[in-house]
Parts: sequence; structure tokens; C-alpha cells
Amino acid sequence: MGFLISRLGQTILVLFVAAFVSFALFRYVGDPVNNMVGQAASLADREAMRQALGLDDPTLLQFGRFVGQAVQGDFGISYRFGQPVAQLLAERFPATLELSIVAMIIATGLGIPLGVWTALHRGSWIAQALLTLSLIGVALPTFLIGIVLILVFSVWLGWLPSFGRGEVVSIGGWTTGLLTWTGIKALILPSITLGVFQLTLIMRLARAEMLEIMRSDFIRFAKARGLRRRTIEYGHALRNTLVPVVTIVGLQFGNVFAFSIIVETVFQWPGLGLLIIQAIQFADVPLLAAYLVLIAFCFAVINLAVDVLYAWIDPRVRAAGMGRSAA
Amino acid sequence: MSTTDRSNGMIPSRWWDSDILYRFRRSPVAVVSGIVTIALIAAAIGADVIAPFDAFDPATANVIDARLPPGSEGIYGDIYLLGTDPQGRDMLSAMIYGLQTSLVVGLSSIALAAFVGVLLGLLAGYFGGMLDALIMRIADVQLSFPAILIALLIDGVTRTALSRETHERLAVPILIAAIAASFWVQYARTVRSLVLTERGREYVLAAKVTGVSTTRILASHILPNVLGPVLVIATINLALAILTEATLSFLGVGIPSTQPSLGSLVRIGNEFIFSGDWWISACPGALLVILSLSVNLFGDWLRDALNPKLNA
Repeated sequence: MGFLISRLGQTILVLFVAAFVSFALFRYVGDPVNNMVGQAASLADREAMRQALGLDDPTLLQFGRFVGQAVQGDFGISYRFGQPVAQLLAERFPATLELSIVAMIIATGLGIPLGVWTALHRGSWIAQALLTLSLIGVALPTFLIGIVLILVFSVWLGWLPSFGRGEVVSIGGWTTGLLTWTGIKALILPSITLGVFQLTLIMRLARAEMLEIMRSDFIRFAKARGLRRRTIEYGHALRNTLVPVVTIVGLQFGNVFAFSIIVETVFQWPGLGLLIIQAIQFADVPLLAAYLVLIAFCFAVINLAVDVLYAWIDPRVRAAGMGRSAA
Repeated sequence: MSTTDRSNGMIPSRWWDSDILYRFRRSPVAVVSGIVTIALIAAAIGADVIAPFDAFDPATANVIDARLPPGSEGIYGDIYLLGTDPQGRDMLSAMIYGLQTSLVVGLSSIALAAFVGVLLGLLAGYFGGMLDALIMRIADVQLSFPAILIALLIDGVTRTALSRETHERLAVPILIAAIAASFWVQYARTVRSLVLTERGREYVLAAKVTGVSTTRILASHILPNVLGPVLVIATINLALAILTEATLSFLGVGIPSTQPSLGSLVRIGNEFIFSGDWWISACPGALLVILSLSVNLFGDWLRDALNPKLNA
């Protein structure tokens, strides 16, 4: 319980800090009144507006009001788009989620088999080549992978589109590109770009885990029992390899989310990442403020969930956590 | 195996003595990546001498020579080895100056991150208690966010908060601070755990008993003993910091595009790949990969060479 409470406290602290920075941006960068009324507004009008918005109230009261509105999803109007910020974020969210999920499916779908294969065929030159490639993959910045893919498959070969989502279908407010041919074609290059780094990571992790398991006693005993090699490798060893690998895959989702900002910029993918880069470039304060709170909230919730899950699975974590909070 | 270097059973007095040099000579990857890294750093330092043209001087750029492919000849008979950019700037020169910016930003941000991280790690490990709890809590929280996201948000928030002119002027220091802020945690954690074991050692107790001040114990007794691992982390982080700078500059939130950095050069070139002018983004991109790969491989080798567990 002590562990849970300290984790919960940490989560609330993160949210509080994010909300505070976001509030400070919102309130003190530029003049909110200037941004809302035209040049022609008289001094009296401005003062009235100021009163109406509550900008003369004590700072603490204003912060309280900001948090209250944020909880209800009200972040004001975007300077650049003239639309409510919450609506903009909700419109862009499906594109980012779809891209991230497809990228992760590619990365795990290829990464785990390749990792297992390279572990089982350690001496072969193909395994060596794959490992070297994965090393280079780490040094390749994501945006360059995207540019090279665009250059080859869009500019030179002309096979795949280089920007946008293609045709999207709207299902109850959720837009998806997975149901149209152009939508799927548009998804291929961005999702590969986003997936490459995760692919190399998952591959090397799966390889290391597999090698570790193959050395363990129960595998040795299984061999001594005369079980078939395939049964040992794919039945016993693989299943035990998957546990830590799947955990890491889950934890990597936050990273994928962050890197989608880069991929979305390269491919002009209309998701949250592109939106936020434009918000930074155009000093769209309400949008940036809302994004800060949203990101902090997402990460805080994911991390809390992971920690709780860990503590639930592994009692040692609980004990360690309590020891730390007691110290 | 050479008998003079290793098998005499003597423990080298310093870690950079013969053993590490011996390992260096024996590893082709280390030699190649080390030489490439040093060559690139040398090229960046000597940019003014090496670069065929001055990338900052508008007089050397000629718009008529814009977007020429590699190996072209300009109207005044200049040879552009790697072609020119949209302003008629020589790509090779721009890349060498870009390399300089990328390395300066990368090295300074790692230096700043290491300084802050080591300082906080020393304080947390030596004093413990509330201070330790506070610093390590902040580190825990920060570690749960991707580094690039933190750098992006710090840069984004300052960009929004400052006026355009102020930000333009402060872009490089802000970028360095943003990258440093996203990398200090690893140093703090490592140094703290090392200090926890060091502070109980006899030499620290002896220093305390003889009345040496706490600042002195930390700075000249404990610090030298925790610097080895810090150096290794710094080398590995350097590649990451360079990539972070390039990524942010590519996104248009790092170095302004008026100043060449490897990332901002790729950004400029990105607009022209559809007209087939691939070299404008491909050349600085390739240089970036070579730089990050060689620094990375060298860092990996250094970590393995200094890790006694792997040497056995």
C-alpha cells in the first residue's frame, strides 16, 4: 500500500508541475486579451474583457480555474486554427495512434522472430550480418530513414505516396486509413520509418533473452530428457523469452509516441506530432499548453499502470518500493 | 598474446596505461571508429582552413550556382565537389561548418549534463536523506519521459515564451540546455551509486578524521574515483546528443536554418528531394550517420574495455 501511495503522489506531482508550466505559458506569454480582441478595441473594452476573463483575480484563483477547465477538457481556442483546442487534439489523435500501433506491430512481428533466429543460429553469417545491421540501425536517425525511404519509394520508384494519410473513413468520429487502399499505401512508409528503431531494439533484446534461456538448467534437462530440438527451442525456450520482451514492448510505447513527432513531420502525417511542431513554430500557446498537460497525463498514467502491474506480478518490487519510501 | 603488455601480472597504476592502449590496438573496430571520430573533430576545428568556401560569407554563395549536382562547375569556374544548396552555397563547406555546430552543441550539452549530473549525484550519494530522496525522485520521474520529448518541450516552451529576436540570438545556448536537461539523469544515478560505496571507504574516513572539509573530500577525494564510468557514459551519450541536436534542428525547433548544422542542412534539402536534388539532404545526412556511428562504436568499445566483467 505504501508503495502505491508514494507512486500515486509522484504521479500527482508530475501532473501538477505540467499544469503549472502550462498555466504560466497560457497566462503570461503574450497578452490573452490582445489575442482575443482586435486592434480597434478601446481601452475600456479591454478592461471589461480583462474583468470578464477573471485576469485580475489572484494568481492562485486563476490557476485553480485553469485546472478546473483543463479537467473538463477546456483549453481555450487555438490561435492559429481558431478552433477549440480539445476538438483539434481529438481530431488528430486517431492518426497518431494508428501509426504507432502499426509501427509496433511491424517491429514486434519482425523483431521477435529475427531475434530468436539469430540466437539459435549464432555462428551463421546471416545472423552476424543482421546483428551488424541492427547496430547501424541504432546510429541512424529516424528522420533520415524517412527521407531515404521517400527518396527511393516515392521520388525514384514512384510506388508509394510520401505525405498525408490518403483517403480516410470516419467511423463514429474516429477516422481510420486502414479501410481504403490509398490509406494503407500511405501508412506503409511512415510506419516502417517509425518501426525500424524499435525493430532493432526488440531484435537484440529477444536475442539476448533467448541466449540466456538456452543456457539455463531447465533447457539442459530438457535436452537430457531427449526432447526434440524444435520442442525445446520453440516450446520451452521461446515461451520464457517472451515475458520480458513483451514487457519492454509495452514500455516502449511511450517512446514510439515521442518519435511519431519526427515521423509525422517527415511525412506530413496529420497527427498530434505534426500539430505540436506547428504549434511550437507558430507560438500557438493554448495548443502547446494543452499538449503539455495531455502528454504529462498520458505518461503519468502509463507509468503508474506499469508500476502497479509490476508490483502485482513481482512481490520483490513491492518490498523494495516500501523500503525506499521508509528510508 | 604479447608478454610485455599483459602477462607480467602488474596492475597498471592508471587505467589509461598500457592495458587500454593494448586493447585499442587489438580491436579494428575501435581503431577505425577512433580514427574517423578524431578526423571529424579535427575537420570541425579546422573548418576555416579546410572548407573550400566560407559558409557564413554571403559573397561566396552565388544564386546562379544554386542546386548544382556534385562535381559541377560554377559560373566562375569553382568546382563544387558535393554540389550546392538552394542558395548556391558549396555543400562540402556548409557540411564542414555544420559538423562544427553539431559537435559543439553535442559536446557542450554532454559536458553540461555531466557537470549537473555528477554534482547532483555526489550530493545525493554523500549526504543522503531528504536531498537524496528529492534528487532521485526527480530523476525517476524524468526517466519515465523520452529524452527527445523533454528536449523538444523545453525548447518549445522557451521558444514560445521568448520573443522571436531573443530566441534567435539564444537558440544555441537554449538548445544545449534543453539537451543537457534531458541527459543528466544517467550521470546522477551512476555517480550516486558509486559514491554510496566510496563514502564508507577508509580513505574517506581518514580524510574526515584529519579534518578535511566536506567540499574537499567530495571534489578531490571521491570525484576522481567516480570519473571512469562518467567518461564512458559521456562517450556513448555524445552520439545520442548529436542525433538529438540533428533531429531537433531538422524539425525546425533547434538551430535556426540560417546557421548550418547537420540537421538544419538536411531540413533545407528535404524540400528539394521531390525535384530530384537528393544530394542537398543526402550528403549532410550521410556525414551525420558516419559521425554518430563512429562515436557510438568507439563508446561501445570503451565501455567493454573498461568493464572488467566482460574482459574475463
